[in-house]
Amino acid sequence: MAEAANVSGVLAHYDSMDGTRRAIESLRDAGFNDLEVFSPVMCEDLEEAMGLPESPVRRWALIGGITGFTTANLLTIGTSLSYPLIGQGKPIVSWPPFIVIMFELTILYTGLFAMFSWMVHSRRPKLKLSPHYRAAFSVDRWGIFVRAEDRDRDRALAAVQDTGPVEVEA
Amino acid sequence: MADDFEIEGNAEYWDTERRGMTMADANRDIMRPIMVSSWRYWALLTFVFLLVVWGCVAWAWQIDQGLGVAGYTHPVMWAVYITCFVFWVGIAHSGTLISAILYLFRSGWRTTINRASEAMTIFAVMTAGLFPLIHLGRTWYFYWLIPYPSERFIWPNFRSPLVWDVFAVGTYFTISLLFWYTGMIPDLAAIRDRLRGWKSKIYGLFAVGWQGTVREWSHYRRAYLYMAAIATPLVLSVHSVVSWDFAMGIVPGWHSTIFAPYFVAGAIFSGMAMVITILVPMRWAFGLEDYVTSYHLENMNKLILLTSLIVAYSYATEYFMTYFSADPTEQASLFFRAHGTFQGPFWVMTFCNVIVPATLWFKKVRRSAAAAFFVSIFVNIGMWYERFVIIVSSLAHEYEPYSWGYYRPSWVEVSILVGSFAWFFFWFLLFTKALPTISIAEVKEHLAHRGAHDHG
Repeated sequence: MAEAANVSGVLAHYDSMDGTRRAIESLRDAGFNDLEVFSPVMCEDLEEAMGLPESPVRRWALIGGITGFTTANLLTIGTSLSYPLIGQGKPIVSWPPFIVIMFELTILYTGLFAMFSWMVHSRRPKLKLSPHYRAAFSVDRWGIFVRAEDRDRDRALAAVQDTGPVEVEA
Repeated sequence: MADDFEIEGNAEYWDTERRGMTMADANRDIMRPIMVSSWRYWALLTFVFLLVVWGCVAWAWQIDQGLGVAGYTHPVMWAVYITCFVFWVGIAHSGTLISAILYLFRSGWRTTINRASEAMTIFAVMTAGLFPLIHLGRTWYFYWLIPYPSERFIWPNFRSPLVWDVFAVGTYFTISLLFWYTGMIPDLAAIRDRLRGWKSKIYGLFAVGWQGTVREWSHYRRAYLYMAAIATPLVLSVHSVVSWDFAMGIVPGWHSTIFAPYFVAGAIFSGMAMVITILVPMRWAFGLEDYVTSYHLENMNKLILLTSLIVAYSYATEYFMTYFSADPTEQASLFFRAHGTFQGPFWVMTFCNVIVPATLWFKKVRRSAAAAFFVSIFVNIGMWYERFVIIVSSLAHEYEPYSWGYYRPSWVEVSILVGSFAWFFFWFLLFTKALPTISIAEVKEHLAHRGAHDHG
């Protein structure tokens, strides 16, 4: 855990999702947009309050699906054409049985791309935690870190105090 | 989002309202098994491990002596091993049903049972995956099923259901593992923050530096949703592909178009039963009765009852289709199934899968942990026998009388069967000690939203 001295801003603790959402809204209204918000649970409300753009993971999942489907096509059709051997009286390129492989690989690649893209976009894996992270944020506390340079610090502190935090580190 | 939890029976999710459970309570209660330890746990783990060793000895004996030590012989060339393969793949299915399908349907009651069911899925697939290898005469050539560029440019036959199996089961294992792991990352971070020293470092490594920023959650939420969305068709496809191992063959009793839905329903039926078989002792041992309540048991039992009816309907349909086809070999095969050499397993199957689950029509039975456990054991037995009956009795009674035969499992097969159950429970026991058996983050999400209702 970092010393308060390293913190160039104000860190506030909250004890409810609702309180955190209201705090984000009023801080953004006061012009503080550089917020780092910690939440112990999944929090669609807070994403909306922060005005985060739609996560690009959806695009990666689609790209993964298309990659998987293409790979399966190349694998099944390509290998059948490269060693053309008629088996079970079926055509060399027999679509119906190949559909199973295409289906499975589409799903496999979608999942892998979704997994890796959320990690990359969240800048994970990482061994070092943010200096503003506190262990309580994985139990039952929400946290908002307001980044503010020296001259804004007092204004940020005042704005944070108005949002009803349970604890403030500045 | 909060409104999604306002469905009927909400108050019964957990006894949280009565006890005034807080998020910190949930954190502590669910992590307790990780923090404390008892000699009973280690004794049980040792016992199970010894059974695994015994199974390994039997397998080693089979590799050394050849497949002759297993009981199967012409014409019954698929027997206990393939039965176990289908059984364990089937067990896996309800985990994904609970974790993915119920997630998409926003069935909030899945929250406290999804983690353990997903773990069950993974260990069941790990068990199932062993059986095709055990069944191979030369196990060390298993990699011939995997497409790789060999010096002779020979590739697997993608028209073969066995190659479909490799892709289906491989994809299923990978996706289930990723889904399970992704769901666990916030919990691993919570454990990391609670422990000290080297243990904290290990959990921290697997938590990939998770700190729950809203940005992280937004990417995470998307990824989790997509994984649930793709796991849903995947779970339906996997057992369909497994059923086509049989349905693609022209063996009477196998060559049937109802196999895919019939197998999928059976898989969910047996898997739900296995979830109850492991959850009832688990909640008792770890004192998690406040989290896994009779409300959860009742919901699972309703699913068991539904799938039992589908399975019973499939049994009836099989017979009707055979009657209606007027195909004498099909008719002889199905007559043999109920009245021939293997009639014992057939009637065990019918009793366990159709008669016993009918008791779940009674609300008292559905809500009682003891009764649910009792019924689930019957269903497990019945579903193992179902696969045995389909595989063995069909192969033993093909077209011509000269190719009819008999089968009896050898001690090697029985040892490996027992070993497979031990292997499954061994992994599950390790899981209960090392990882949170209930999704802490999801329980807390419910509590956080309840708080939002109280305050807002």
